[in-house]
Amino acid sequence: MESVGGWHPGHALLQLFLCQMLGLYTGWNPVSSTSLNNTVSSSVCGSCELSCCQEFWRFLLGLCLSRASASVLNLNCSLILLPMCRTLLAYLRGSQKVPSRRTRRLLDKSRTFHITCGVTICIFSGVHVAAHLVNALNFSVNYSEDFVELNAARYRDEDPRKLLFTTVPGLTGVCMVVVLFLMITASTYAIRVSNYDIFWYTHNLFFVFYMLLMLHVSGGLLKYQTNLDTHSPGCINLNRTSSQNISLPEYFSEHFHEPFPEGFSKSEEFTQNTFVKICVEEPRFQANFPQTWLWISGPLCLYCAERLYRYIRSNKPVTIISVISHPSDVMEIRMVKENFKARPGQYIILHCPSVSALENHPFTLTMCPTETKATFGVHLKIVGDWTERFRDLLLPPPSQDSEILPFIQSRNYPKLYIDGPFGSPFEESLNYEVSLCVAGGIGVTPFASILNTLLDDWKPYKLRRLYFIWVCRDIQSFCWFADLLCVLHNKFWQENRPDYVNIQLYLSRTDGIQIIGEKYHILNSRLFIGRPRWKLLFDEIAKCNRGKTVGVFCCGPNSLSKTLHKLSNQNNSYGTRFEYNKESFS
Amino acid sequence: MGQIEWAMWANEQALASGLILITGGIVATAGHFTQWYFGAYSIVAGVFVCLLEYPRGKRKKGSTMERCGQKYMTAVVKLFGPLTRNYYIRAILHLLLSVPAGFLLATILGTACLAIASGIYLLAAVRGEQWTPIEPKPRERPHVGGTIKQPPSNPPPRPPAEARKKPSEEAEAAEGPSAGPQDNPIPVTDEIV
Repeated sequence: MESVGGWHPGHALLQLFLCQMLGLYTGWNPVSSTSLNNTVSSSVCGSCELSCCQEFWRFLLGLCLSRASASVLNLNCSLILLPMCRTLLAYLRGSQKVPSRRTRRLLDKSRTFHITCGVTICIFSGVHVAAHLVNALNFSVNYSEDFVELNAARYRDEDPRKLLFTTVPGLTGVCMVVVLFLMITASTYAIRVSNYDIFWYTHNLFFVFYMLLMLHVSGGLLKYQTNLDTHSPGCINLNRTSSQNISLPEYFSEHFHEPFPEGFSKSEEFTQNTFVKICVEEPRFQANFPQTWLWISGPLCLYCAERLYRYIRSNKPVTIISVISHPSDVMEIRMVKENFKARPGQYIILHCPSVSALENHPFTLTMCPTETKATFGVHLKIVGDWTERFRDLLLPPPSQDSEILPFIQSRNYPKLYIDGPFGSPFEESLNYEVSLCVAGGIGVTPFASILNTLLDDWKPYKLRRLYFIWVCRDIQSFCWFADLLCVLHNKFWQENRPDYVNIQLYLSRTDGIQIIGEKYHILNSRLFIGRPRWKLLFDEIAKCNRGKTVGVFCCGPNSLSKTLHKLSNQNNSYGTRFEYNKESFS
Repeated sequence: MGQIEWAMWANEQALASGLILITGGIVATAGHFTQWYFGAYSIVAGVFVCLLEYPRGKRKKGSTMERCGQKYMTAVVKLFGPLTRNYYIRAILHLLLSVPAGFLLATILGTACLAIASGIYLLAAVRGEQWTPIEPKPRERPHVGGTIKQPPSNPPPRPPAEARKKPSEEAEAAEGPSAGPQDNPIPVTDEIV
């Protein structure tokens, strides 16, 4: 039922969320609408402008649109922080309190949810700003002398631009729009892929945004009347000037000439409801309590607590045990840290102040600490300037200082801090009975930690068969984990479970050397030249595992991921279900 | 921080500002505000900025994602040569375009955003960045057998190419005697048993 035709519970959640927002927007928030009604009816009815329908409508439309979009913004600004509490999500993913796989798969969609909330904030901010600009104009044009407290403008025909820039809500609103503009333009896919730094630094402005939001709603623009019982809407004020004085008999004859159609049982109610009251005292207004504070304080406190926890946890540097250089620009770092626990498939964030004071980069763990061995490790591919500088610090270039022996270098390792571990969908591969893991190039790292865990002890997990497919462009890349694969294969042969791990290696570049190494017979015999034929592979796995649910995991380029996703959603004649678990990278 | 290309971000900002200007301009002219002609100006300026900024420039390192259908505008923008290549000119142009829209409330947001984009373009220009058009890569025809120049002239056993070349060059230079069509680099003796 889960991935029939590509629909799955994550989509349902998204649809529910959108419907909720639509409900908030159209049905608008009851509290703000009562106060809105009171505000509008008091100011409008009191000053007898009922005849000017057009202006009334414009007034109401501007106010209602801005209040409704504000409600939607409240919801989204509070929800957008929750997917970013990564430690909390990692805890939920691993805890026993979340037994269902369906719920864990929802956690995989956290980044998508964050982006959806962001886009919604952007759209509704636009609506909110437009509505308030109309309001600013209306407040200055329709200044009401009778209810001075209700006016946002200070005098009639005040320049709306002055309203915008000299009031607290106006100024904070303008600053918030500028901050939002900077954040949104730096968050597009093209910028994230090419200049991740710009995205990261501007996105940290969110804190400024939230502080401005707290100030924005404290301006007290929207007020409600505190003495409704002594001054109800539409009551007659006998002390008013002549322009508004309507004599009582005329009023009665105007309104009560229609006979009451129903029986006498309702007559008392009728008289009570329409009995025109005389105003006892002047209306008093008080500003509404800013609802936004209630909405956003919870998630903001949670997020700040999480950041504090992560900061404290990552304050102790790790001890680097060894640094190993692998072919094809890959470096392995093995390290040790006390009280560090991680599950296979999780990733950590490395921070090295000697390389860059502000940057930190995520890397998947290739070896997790176990009960017997506290060492854990990562494999890094040297791709950008941070990794190049990091490699130069850890592994000095071979041409210089060849007399320095390796063991002396260990004392000169720079300080390294790690944050994490954080969860990822690959943790789930041990919870399926049959898993298909496809890796492209350096994308093998999450699966390496899974293989290391299986090497340690495979019995506690639900996994009984693993199809491991690794596609590389360069033959040398297979050397990164060739030893691990061989040892694992031998172990399962010794334990008489030769079909537990099925290894298939593919070399996508067809020219060049086609042997991994002399001693790796196991891998050489499982090496294929050319790209895998996925349809045949899926059919073969389906035939061998009839009626089972196979978890499909892919860590590699987007095109590969899309192909596998499409194939997983297709039906096959053997009754095997493929569940695709997606990881999002940028 | 040293390798950030600011021009790409400025480009996104300018495109977004153009859209904001168009929206603000539509609101101003449709609502018949006073001074609505500023709204009309804002629409025109917004359209111009969007068209100018639509083609994304090429990154210095790595591949650039093209916007969908941008090759037509790339051809037009390329025509102006140094006017569009230089980011100082773009920064000043955006600043000048943004000023008139600041007089009307509906378009004041577009002014602020375009001014910020102009500032980032100035930063990009100071760091020496330039707009280079993304050319479509000429499709390489696979040269089948391009490394095969000539079929081998000798039957096997053939030594590697270097050994084959040297004796033939020496032979040409010295104009030595050629022992027929077949030149054996290794002397072959016929053993008569």
